[in-house]
Amino acid sequence: MRSAVLARLLDLGETPAREAMGLMEALGGEMRSLILASSAQDAVAAVGDVHLGVHPALEDPDPEIAYLAAVRLIGDVPPDLLLLPEGPLFEMIGARLAGHFGMSAVRDVDEVTAESGAIILRKGAYGGKANVRLRASGGVVAGLRAGAFPAADPQPQTASIEDLGPLAEGGKERRTVRDTSGDDLGRAKVIVSGGRGLGSREGYESLRPFAALLGASLGASRAAVDEGWASPSQQVGITGRKVAPELYLAIGISGASQHLSGMSGSRTVIAVNRDEHAPIFEAADIGLVADWYQIWPHLQKALEG
Amino acid sequence: MRILCFVKAILDPEAPPGAIRFPGKVESGDVSTVLGPFEGNALELALQISEASAGSFTAVAMGDGAQDVALRKALALGAGRAARIDVATGFVDPLGAARRLESAAKELGGADVYIFGRQAGDWDMGVTAGLFAGLLDLPFVPLVQQAEVAGEGLRLRREIPGGYEESLRTGPIVLSVTNGPRTLMRLPKVKDVMLANRKPIDVLKPAEVGENLTLAEIAQAQVTRQSRMITGDAASQAAQLSAELRRFLVTGGGN
Repeated sequence: MRSAVLARLLDLGETPAREAMGLMEALGGEMRSLILASSAQDAVAAVGDVHLGVHPALEDPDPEIAYLAAVRLIGDVPPDLLLLPEGPLFEMIGARLAGHFGMSAVRDVDEVTAESGAIILRKGAYGGKANVRLRASGGVVAGLRAGAFPAADPQPQTASIEDLGPLAEGGKERRTVRDTSGDDLGRAKVIVSGGRGLGSREGYESLRPFAALLGASLGASRAAVDEGWASPSQQVGITGRKVAPELYLAIGISGASQHLSGMSGSRTVIAVNRDEHAPIFEAADIGLVADWYQIWPHLQKALEG
Repeated sequence: MRILCFVKAILDPEAPPGAIRFPGKVESGDVSTVLGPFEGNALELALQISEASAGSFTAVAMGDGAQDVALRKALALGAGRAARIDVATGFVDPLGAARRLESAAKELGGADVYIFGRQAGDWDMGVTAGLFAGLLDLPFVPLVQQAEVAGEGLRLRREIPGGYEESLRTGPIVLSVTNGPRTLMRLPKVKDVMLANRKPIDVLKPAEVGENLTLAEIAQAQVTRQSRMITGDAASQAAQLSAELRRFLVTGGGN
């Protein structure tokens, strides 16, 4: 089998990229690391045959630039299995590359095995209510769920360097705005998340001092984002950010299955909700059937004391 | 602008735990079929673009007659036409699905803007829009939160980690739409819902396509934890919770 990892040079030191390489090592066969970089490097820590595709616009690429660069770097013969860490790069180009090369695509894969010559990929479905195993009989681009695979420990080696040359331009008048509330939920040890049960933007804002007392990042349910109380980058859920903190506090969140799936990697979950039948309590270690606004003044006094 | 908006009806994702079971297959019980949440966001964006460009949009679904729920919703919201690619319900290889949608798009005359929800809430694949763009060799902008017509093009805002990115795009394009205040689906008027129920839905024959992926197994996921309840009045609950949180902050966690 021919497998390859596609990643940005900037992401190589991160665990998800090393996990993708670890999976490639475990599967064996012909291995390539395809790295997108804004400048040439003398040595690159990666696995298998290492190919560095270089273009200055890859520092912070537009989706079109990233896609065109990846197509050139992959070349005429795509691998049987192309692995990308889940995240922005897969979002931008993973499935489009698959379509271009006549491969299928699967996201959020948490297990890959070889059975009787076929690759089997496991992932969640139905908002995390089910697990499915999919048998690949042709080429597949797979997005790998962070934390699901042992990481490789690649040593620096000389890469073959390809100047990707002129690429067609992407979007015009491009402007990037970083959210000032952009807590890094993916790395957070403690997350306080709020949902529709808080009732209002002011209610959601009441979580801010609570999060500050705990040194926590502030997350949100889909409903809170739809209401405009929180930014999309704060959304936790299978279609938002998947998180794995030591402690997850769900305040006024009923527990739609896609939210439960997104927080399922949390070590300890504490839920506060007025509805004793809310599904969130089935996914919590500690539950309080309570009105947050009744609890918070007492809790604030106790925590500050 | 000519717009094709792809929609999908799914088993209600807000169904209570255990209502849908997976003993080697999908057992839906009495759970109803509804328009997928992100397809609602896609419809809203299609509507906004068609209104701003004095155009119309066509809604396309793939599946059996259960998909008509999604198409009727699209018609009630203002879709000028609705078409269903007639295939059986069940797992479909995303590449095969994208190829069938590509074939249907050509049959329907193509479009300037192809709009998908970011992820259907049944198989949670989230790849069809990108696959479709790759097959048609069209630019693809994922996770669009907002779109404004700007001359012949679209000014798009897309979600990126920790913020957003805006850019102006011209020419045919494929978008996947995410949720947010600007893509929250409006409610159709009752009169339009009634009218939509009488409008025709074109049924398209599916293209013959191969499959790279087949469903080998489906099983119930185990997500339930043993929940310990903290009871009492508000002051007592707060005191107990505070003790738990202090213990956590001192010890670094653990149950």
